[in-house]
Amino acid sequence: MSKVRRHELKNIMQKFMMLVLLTLSFNAIAIDEITITIRNHLFYPPEIDIPEHKKVKINFINQDDTPEEIDSFDLNREKVVFANSRSSIFVGPLEAGRYRYFGEYHPNTAIGFVNVVSTEEHQDAK
Amino acid sequence: MRLFSFLSLLASLICEPLAFADEGSVDKVYHPYVLPNEREVEWRFASRQNDDGNLLTQRLAFGKAVSEHVMLEFYLVGARDEYDDFDLASYEVEARWMLTEQGQYWADWGALFEIEKAHHRDLWEATSGILIEKEFGQTSLTTNFLLAYTWGNDRDSETESEIIPQFRLKYRYRWHPWLQPSVEIYTGEDFVGIGPAFMGIQRYQGQKQLKWELGFISGLNGDSKDHTLRFVLEYEF
Repeated sequence: MSKVRRHELKNIMQKFMMLVLLTLSFNAIAIDEITITIRNHLFYPPEIDIPEHKKVKINFINQDDTPEEIDSFDLNREKVVFANSRSSIFVGPLEAGRYRYFGEYHPNTAIGFVNVVSTEEHQDAK
Repeated sequence: MRLFSFLSLLASLICEPLAFADEGSVDKVYHPYVLPNEREVEWRFASRQNDDGNLLTQRLAFGKAVSEHVMLEFYLVGARDEYDDFDLASYEVEARWMLTEQGQYWADWGALFEIEKAHHRDLWEATSGILIEKEFGQTSLTTNFLLAYTWGNDRDSETESEIIPQFRLKYRYRWHPWLQPSVEIYTGEDFVGIGPAFMGIQRYQGQKQLKWELGFISGLNGDSKDHTLRFVLEYEF
């Protein structure tokens, strides 16, 4: 490998490491958590409120004997929750609005909504 | 400010390797996600027209998630040779590893490992790299930073570099599940290409879904003509 190419690769690696450090530096922030239970192919509660412009972790506890796949084009998330198991998705920061998600294996019953509300509305609801 | 820093860094990486490229530079921009239980069959088609003529490559693949975070895919690659005969050109195994949960960190990370063996020739290629995706509202920026290492007695050391850095980028607007327009950029050895692309998803029952991608990439490397039409059809079940 020529010296020029080695130098090019070294530069790329240095910039890539900067990118990694940049990413990791934004992660040390506490995240709110909300739990949703899957029972008889339904979500409990079927609707949750979260504050706008904030990242939230949603924990799904699947009490059914069959797996479920959480799917949402609105939230841009897909996640499998195995039978009698739990799994999580991270959503946000989002603009205020109503975001639909559903269970791919039971799309007629497993339907839920994430309502993203202003911080004031979210505080009042608490 | 963060977005500006990120884009500045990406811009400097894009501008760096203007000396990149090989014939297969326009392929696919990989997303860093894997779903457990996922299985797929895939057909990938790329037709590149430049001053040297037409190069046609097609790939047939079967993929399966082997764990919650790792997906393996096996490819048969066909190509049209200089005598206009379309035949098996190589075999490939690919592993995609989802390193972080979607949305957990500032960006989502994955890794890609590929090994390809030319059919009836002593020519190998190993590719590895990092896949990054970042959401900006209804848009997503996906980048692939890859290094391909080629070896074997049949490698043409005068025209093929031993190590080829590749960069791929897709900036996608999630408009409707069935139509998501994007801009794609590919760089390789002596190649930089950019062009529009579209993807869409049609869902069926359970995990069954059909994904399609269509892109038209124009080379910016000075040739009077250099276009690649690429198409992907992927059925997940």
